[in-house]
Amino acid sequence: MTAAPSPLLAIRGLRAAYGKIEALKGVDVEINAGEIVALIGANGAGKSTLMMTIFGKPRARAGQILYEGRDITDVPTHEIAHLRIAQSPEGRRVFPRMSVAENLQMGADATGCTEAEREGTLQRVFTLFPRLKERYAQRGGTLSGGEQQMLAIGRALMSRPRLLLLDEPSLGLAPLIARQIFDAIRTLNRQDGLTVLIVEQNANHALKLAHRGYVMVNGLITLAGTGAELLQRPEIRAAYLEGGRHG
Amino acid sequence: MTAPSTNTAKPATGIPALLKTAFINALIALVLFSLMIGIRTEAGSSGQLTYWTRFGDLASIVAAVFGGSIVIELLRQWIGPTGAEKLVPPAVQSGISFIGRYLAPALLIFTLLVPVIFYNQRYILDLAILVLTYVMLGWGLNVVVGLAGLLDLGYVAFYAVGAYSYGLLATNFGWSFWICLPLAGILAAFWGVLLGFPVLRLRGDYLAIVTLAFGEIIRLVIINWQDLTGGPNGVSGIPRPTFFGIPLDNSDDGLAARLGIEYSPTHRIVFLFYLILALALLTNWATIRLRRLPIGRAWEALREDEVACRALGINTTTTKLTAFATGAMFGGFAGAFFATRQGFISPESFTFQESALVLAIVVLGGMGSQLGVALSALAMIGGFELFRGLEGYRMLVFGMAMVLIMIWRPRGLIGHRAPTVYLTKAKAISSDLVKEGHG
Repeated sequence: MTAAPSPLLAIRGLRAAYGKIEALKGVDVEINAGEIVALIGANGAGKSTLMMTIFGKPRARAGQILYEGRDITDVPTHEIAHLRIAQSPEGRRVFPRMSVAENLQMGADATGCTEAEREGTLQRVFTLFPRLKERYAQRGGTLSGGEQQMLAIGRALMSRPRLLLLDEPSLGLAPLIARQIFDAIRTLNRQDGLTVLIVEQNANHALKLAHRGYVMVNGLITLAGTGAELLQRPEIRAAYLEGGRHG
Repeated sequence: MTAPSTNTAKPATGIPALLKTAFINALIALVLFSLMIGIRTEAGSSGQLTYWTRFGDLASIVAAVFGGSIVIELLRQWIGPTGAEKLVPPAVQSGISFIGRYLAPALLIFTLLVPVIFYNQRYILDLAILVLTYVMLGWGLNVVVGLAGLLDLGYVAFYAVGAYSYGLLATNFGWSFWICLPLAGILAAFWGVLLGFPVLRLRGDYLAIVTLAFGEIIRLVIINWQDLTGGPNGVSGIPRPTFFGIPLDNSDDGLAARLGIEYSPTHRIVFLFYLILALALLTNWATIRLRRLPIGRAWEALREDEVACRALGINTTTTKLTAFATGAMFGGFAGAFFATRQGFISPESFTFQESALVLAIVVLGGMGSQLGVALSALAMIGGFELFRGLEGYRMLVFGMAMVLIMIWRPRGLIGHRAPTVYLTKAKAISSDLVKEGHG
């Protein structure tokens, strides 16, 4: 239906605010099908707000969010998840008292897939993160930080998304575990054709992983380019790489 | 990186280590107490020092320390971290798990037999009916508080709605109990939704305050709407339940006369007993079933993390409203039963104290645990009766018991939550997967 060049997700002039404080001041972002797009920026730049606004919480004050050519700016939050957009929220937010198996099932519940599809996706998640299979009967809250991140991504994958939004997947993880997570994201993109928007403070890792990147400062996109280009930019190196956190 | 269990800091276990610890403790006790207890000194009559030995006392103290430290060590390992080597004899352990597995069925069978065993003890039958009413209320509130995590301090409102629904429909229109029962449930569920709408955005303390107010509003409306509810005078002359149309009384077409047996007022009590048991079991069955369905899982997920729920495509509005409605419906059933049992209802039966009692039953039993709620209803209501002789002290005793339970078992008597999703074909594909992922 949609012509080939039109992006999977297009964000045009998006504004959002918490009360009087404007967090997004007219953001334009495009994500093509099959891409990994990284969104980097300092604390409070509005990266997470952009993620949340795609999901309608907070609502956009102005601008448009187009997904597969359809305007989803005013679609209720719970219905957005039915459009095969999945989110692994900041801080992982696994269900602590529910088992790993139940957490994963929660991801599949709302989307209404068949039993066979669910089983297939579950096996895919276990292939990506064998650790989850070992821990399937354990409560989510007893997992380590890395395992919880795997669970949060796995739970998002259970809804069989086309577009996966990842908010700070490496937050608080040991470098080795963070690398495993990034490897899994790359695998998902290459093998399953999953489109990924990843918000990261770890600019080095994220830009190496991504096809394209956006830099966000104070609610505005200030730079855009391929991941390799952005990694070479002196201002990026100064602001986010040297002296900052190293991958 | 993240090994399943870190055994590095764990002290050595096993019987020799246990005995060694106990022996060292006993030795220390021996050294300490040999002078303190073993030798008794006193000033004699002429000021000289006299002393005598008390080795018998010393030996018993040291033996007590030896035995005590074994017990403490065993206890520590028993309630200690999982995965630690257990020194509790396997027989005891399997005994405990045996009790755990068969407690619920055994309790159920016993409950079924209560009217047979205590047929001639009217007091016990009445008490059992009361306990079962609270078990049912506890199970109903458990849906709202235990599963969905919505703290409801006004649950008695739905109980009242159910009771007055039946009372008014039966006295005004002469409808039978079996028609009014579902109606009472539906009306209570409707009020549950009505309460649910304004509190959708609230959580925790704020939600508790609003539900508390809601409970009071219902009670005050009942008191003041005299034309309909009779105000403080209540509704009297509520018909007794019939055995599907056959009255349980002394008349010619009563059940006893039809069966050709001698009439006894106990028949009605036994009937009421099985009626509330059936209603309670219906509540339990529905809750267990719902927990395995997506809606029940959504309730539990909502309790854990609302933001994550929304991100996963769960409609939190309908999920909360169904939780309120389901819990309220069971409260309404229990209310209708209460009305038919008492034959008379007044606003005094639906004070905040009832809400608090039901909530205490749920919290002490272990939120979300069906068996725990039943046990704690038995302990609370049964305990109230048991300690009736103590009058002024029994609230003190219960307060202390609650504090102690919350110290020792902060998640309630039965804090364990059984998962509802299992892997199918768990071992079918593991071998090729294990190779991947050690990154």
